[in-house]
Amino acid sequence: MNINALLDWISGEHISLVLFFVGLYGLTARRNMLKSILSVGIMQAAAILYFLSADLAEDSVPPVGESVAGQAMADPLPQAMMITDIVIGIGVTAIALTLMIHLYHRYGTTNWQKARDKRHE
Amino acid sequence: MMVPFYILILGPVLAGLALLALPLRWGKVLAPISQIPLAVLAGQAFLAVRRNGPQLQVIGGWPSSVGIALRAELLSLDLVMLSILLFACLLLYNAGKPYVNRTFLFLFLSFQGLLNGIFLSSDLFNIFVLVEVATVVISLLILFKPNSESIYDGSIYLLTNIVAMTFFLFGLGLLYKTTGAVDFDSLKRVIASFEDSERLILPYAFLMTAVSLKAALMPLFSWLPKAHGTPGAPTVVSAVLSGLYVKGGVYLFFRLQDIFEPVLDTRSLFLVLGLMTAVIGFVLAIAQKDIKLILAYHTVSQIGLIMTGLNMDHDYARYGALYHIINHAIFKATLFLTAGLVIEHYKTRQIGQIRGVWREMPAVALASLLAILGITGAPLFNGSMSKAWIMVGADQAWLGIALYVINLGTVISFVKYSSMLWGKAPGKAKRPFWGGPGHRLPALVCLSLGTLCLLGGVLSEPMTRLLFGVALPVDWSQYGRKTVVFLLLLFAGTAIYHFGLKRWRYLQQARDLDLSFHDICLTMAAFFAALVIVLKIWY
Repeated sequence: MNINALLDWISGEHISLVLFFVGLYGLTARRNMLKSILSVGIMQAAAILYFLSADLAEDSVPPVGESVAGQAMADPLPQAMMITDIVIGIGVTAIALTLMIHLYHRYGTTNWQKARDKRHE
Repeated sequence: MMVPFYILILGPVLAGLALLALPLRWGKVLAPISQIPLAVLAGQAFLAVRRNGPQLQVIGGWPSSVGIALRAELLSLDLVMLSILLFACLLLYNAGKPYVNRTFLFLFLSFQGLLNGIFLSSDLFNIFVLVEVATVVISLLILFKPNSESIYDGSIYLLTNIVAMTFFLFGLGLLYKTTGAVDFDSLKRVIASFEDSERLILPYAFLMTAVSLKAALMPLFSWLPKAHGTPGAPTVVSAVLSGLYVKGGVYLFFRLQDIFEPVLDTRSLFLVLGLMTAVIGFVLAIAQKDIKLILAYHTVSQIGLIMTGLNMDHDYARYGALYHIINHAIFKATLFLTAGLVIEHYKTRQIGQIRGVWREMPAVALASLLAILGITGAPLFNGSMSKAWIMVGADQAWLGIALYVINLGTVISFVKYSSMLWGKAPGKAKRPFWGGPGHRLPALVCLSLGTLCLLGGVLSEPMTRLLFGVALPVDWSQYGRKTVVFLLLLFAGTAIYHFGLKRWRYLQQARDLDLSFHDICLTMAAFFAALVIVLKIWY
């Protein structure tokens, strides 16, 4: 395979799709709750990367301040949406980590399987 | 002058914030009162929409494709009014409960605001934000009386729902790239004239995986009974989750199908999934011993029925399903509330240990019975009307038979559930009508909700005309036949339960069916893959 073709293939869009499924793999294959939370983080990062890199023109400038003639501005809408998502992501991750600490105090483990066994006791 | 819709969303949140600053004594009184102005505003908006058609409001004066757009039409306002009615009842029910504190009232009222936002929003990204925040609020509410079981249940709920919403977000990104829009109006316009349907498959599959999990469709429902039936969750939280919040998923499904239908018509697929959900839901409900879990699994079954109705190619079935959304909210809330009182009184959740509710708490038993008659579709009750309209849409014989089987399953599961009403009470003396001290107000709330089940049936014709603006005729002359069919179902259900299912070994195994977090994630991935493959073959 041509190395240049490979380099061309590596774009934000493709990488984000790969990352998304890497995260999904982590969710299904790892038993530790902390790793599950990290996997969700990877999936969220993938979504953010996708929004920011899809449809991005090659030499566009950030949509901030005065526009310069002749230069295209990047679409501000995905960026605004992703700022919101990053904030939500932080909140959600914080809650998930808090729950994990509670779970650890209660069951003495962060392993999903063991916690489940203890729940049924 | 049109009511600004954002008040319906911000109002409850601000009320909750204000209650944080006031003494709890006042909060308990003011929280139900806060629903009155909301009801007035929602009613005004409803009348305006009935007069002038759907209204769009964009906050901040941006163009509607960019700003936060709120859209009110009859269905969304119906659901908002339903949420106000239910929350008012639940807050009254809750007023005397010891665990209620200011944080609880704040979270509970914020949840109402988020819910109204989901119903009113006309933009997929805003819906994503609202659902994500609602997920966090709900997991806090589920864990409000933390015990060792509910921490595991709450964690499962939070993480599976976050994963689903990540699917949603990614699908939204793909959709934005293909269509350049995230709001309903633009999406509908762009997609209706879309040539290349193949490019919509991937975003559609991502979005639908998330929505199917939210709506608890087969095979993605296993988080729901855990969350709705967990021992630690306060009764009112179970009631609102099962009665109302799960309908948020169904509502999203309805909206998305409306957008994608011209290009990707998946109705037959979701019709079959709906039927399967309904069947597996009642089978698992019959297998349970915990009364809250019977009700929670039963929600899965009814969601399946609603999905079946929504995906039929018939207007009656569609409106029947929408009416069933409202009916189900009312009787399921009644059932959860009465179950909460029963659990409180008997100090157990095991159906086998609860006997003689009729003698012990007559008002609660009466409310339960009204709701049971509603949910099993007894003649004159609201469930029978919506189920009859869904039945009209069954254009093939097998579909009609499947619907009868589902109704039989509902009857069987409630024959089991209602066994707690009869029999000898443990106490000696007959109790006063309202039950023990402190039960008067909650029992009154349950009883009025139960009465609504009957009213919703008797007045179903004017109700649907008012709520949906359509005339759905009820054929009263068929009522004799319907009553006979119902009695036959009741008889068959009782016989099957007592002589067959009660001692059936496999049923015990079905009770132990419990997917772990990994299994849920794996089913989500499999559901997504299957959806992509099916759509690729079709288009």
